[in-house]
Amino acid sequence: MKSSIHLLTALRSLFRDARNFQIVFLSSFLLYGIWYLDWDHDIVRFAIIISTALMVQLVGVMLSPAPMHSLKSALITGLGMSLLFQANSYITLVMGVGLAIAGKFLIRSNGKHIFNPANFGIVVTILLTGDAWISPGQWGSSALLVFFIGAAGLMVILKAGRVDTSFAFLATLFLLEYVRTIVYLGWDFDFLLLKFSNGSLLLFSFFMITDPVTTPNHLVARIVWASLIAVVTFSLSNFMQVHTAPLWALFFISPLTVGFDRLLKSEKFQWIKA
Amino acid sequence: MKTKIIALFLLSVLVTENAMAFCGFYVAKADTKLFNKTSQIILVRDGNRTTITMNNDFQGDVKDFAMVVPVPVVLKENDIRISDQSVFEALDAYSGPRLVEYYDENPCYRYDYLEDYSYSRSESISMVQKSSMKEKEKGLGVKVEAEYSIGEYDILILSATESVGLKTWLTQNGYKIPGTANEVLDPYIKSNMKFFVVKVNLDNKKALGFEHLRPIQISFDSPKFMLPIRLGMANANGPQDMIVYAFTKTGRVECTNYRTVKIPTDRNVPLDIRNNFGKFYVDLFEKSWRYQGKNCVFLEYAWNVTPSWGGVKCDPCVGPPPLTADLGRAGVNWANQGNVFFTRLHVRYSRDKFPQDLNFQVTPNTEHFQGRYILTNPAGGDFECEDGQQYLKDLCYKRKHEVEELAVLTGWDVTRYGKYITEYNHLIKDNQFKKNDFTPVIPQDSDPGSPGNGGKWIFTLFFLVGVGGLFILLQRIPVTRQA
Repeated sequence: MKSSIHLLTALRSLFRDARNFQIVFLSSFLLYGIWYLDWDHDIVRFAIIISTALMVQLVGVMLSPAPMHSLKSALITGLGMSLLFQANSYITLVMGVGLAIAGKFLIRSNGKHIFNPANFGIVVTILLTGDAWISPGQWGSSALLVFFIGAAGLMVILKAGRVDTSFAFLATLFLLEYVRTIVYLGWDFDFLLLKFSNGSLLLFSFFMITDPVTTPNHLVARIVWASLIAVVTFSLSNFMQVHTAPLWALFFISPLTVGFDRLLKSEKFQWIKA
Repeated sequence: MKTKIIALFLLSVLVTENAMAFCGFYVAKADTKLFNKTSQIILVRDGNRTTITMNNDFQGDVKDFAMVVPVPVVLKENDIRISDQSVFEALDAYSGPRLVEYYDENPCYRYDYLEDYSYSRSESISMVQKSSMKEKEKGLGVKVEAEYSIGEYDILILSATESVGLKTWLTQNGYKIPGTANEVLDPYIKSNMKFFVVKVNLDNKKALGFEHLRPIQISFDSPKFMLPIRLGMANANGPQDMIVYAFTKTGRVECTNYRTVKIPTDRNVPLDIRNNFGKFYVDLFEKSWRYQGKNCVFLEYAWNVTPSWGGVKCDPCVGPPPLTADLGRAGVNWANQGNVFFTRLHVRYSRDKFPQDLNFQVTPNTEHFQGRYILTNPAGGDFECEDGQQYLKDLCYKRKHEVEELAVLTGWDVTRYGKYITEYNHLIKDNQFKKNDFTPVIPQDSDPGSPGNGGKWIFTLFFLVGVGGLFILLQRIPVTRQA
């Protein structure tokens, strides 16, 4: 009993920094993919993405006032990109990750970077090179449980840190998809379930749009912002057949964060309260 | 100087020959006729333009033949063509999973081998829905958008406002629609899809004189890049197989709403697979399909097949690479001007595991892939020298590994392979070695998609040590500034 209380305290203190939690989870997803989804052919790709992210961040730390512990953020970006981002050549991979991290230091407003780093790196590289892509089907639908465990853990440990963003996004998207596919088109429920058990979508929902630095500071603004991303995602995927819609939606809606922060003032997020 | 040049030239010729010999020799292939209830589709995607060619191997009275396919737009007459069965045969023969063989060299002395290329042809099987035609429209919300007679086919493009009306119309006109088709027709109607409805015009067929029904090819512009499989499941009993031959300008085609998994490849298997490669591949596919959860699409082949491209088009060739004429008949209308990338996908689908139609995307992924299984013929001669003795010991272990692979890939009982493993042990002088136990070790519930876990372990170890180290390092740094 005592030892379990000790363990809980230790976990609490470890996950006081939400990034530690994210690193543990994203790492688990990566290892899950390698061991159970035949991603072992991609090991070199993962190594390149993660090491590039850390190295570019290290250069940034040396050249800017960013603290050393921001390496954790770079690791999260590297892990997130490993789980989504694919390219034909290693040069493209390095370029994508370089853009992701460099974008954090260069594209800023009001003391925050504007774009979600992984999202920015992926989208810009796809647009510029035509040599990179995302495989939304790479997870299959077996990852559902894993993600929900992740989401539950997130809520318990962070006391719903910025999970509001995830839920606003998922709830809005689910409602729109439900009305269209089940009520209007008349597909069976498992049709919808397949959409929502897509690993890429869940990864995006719980680990990409929850990034506190690039989401609006005010709760109401965050919910509106996330719902807006859901509406754009829904439209792109249903009416324009864009299968990687959430990433594009986030990319185009991200700059609105600046406006939201001006309209609805709230305390800026800090990773670790000094 | 001259001798140098000649020597260099000879050397380069020798080097090339060795490189060619490295390809191994083609032995056999696994074609579509091994799988029953298999439909074959050619998909060509260029921007928003899709060309779909549907194979027809309808067995039965042709007056009973009919086909209903949801399409995103009303097709014009010149969007519909009749293709040729031989295209499917050529593509199947070229891209099917292949068995290859290598010859070991006796380390005590060396042989030279000659190259030999061969290929054969294959047949294929396709499923179509049965029905027959009778009457005319009766105001059921069904509109005949277009009507064509092309080759031996009478074609209608229908639009409908509701599924009951469409079903009634189809039934009244002699199309036998399964009772459960209603609920599937509805979503297509509401998605504003049209229906491409085909029957055979008996007079035209007679005049043309073709024995078999030829494949139909349709082209249209739409952002949708998908294959409607749900309609075909309405009356299916059990899983159905489908082979998709896809062509693009950029790279591989992959599924976006189901996993696209590579079929296990480059595995060493025992020599007697030469005689039953077909059964071997059918069982391998079955086991992989079960192992992966019965809900994914398998990649069997991916290669750059541009006619003018100078690279190696197969290793080794099972059939001749598709010619510009083949590609043209398949609907690739840019074969003379640009890149042609070919993907072969194999999907086994059933209603419970595939609630959605198959959605695809074109990726820039140009990595080559082939389903390839390897036989190794042992060296001949005597093995008196030290290297020869070592070779025999290695051969014994290698064969043990082949048998283990076979068990993992197919789930076969491999107890009868004991003699195969120790076939050459009587030539080994080391009595201690002969006493070893060579019973194959079959890992339980192992992964038929992965040759070994070495790389996984190394990555996992490095990864955990690296991330853990970084963690500890960062926890020790006092926090002074904000990120």
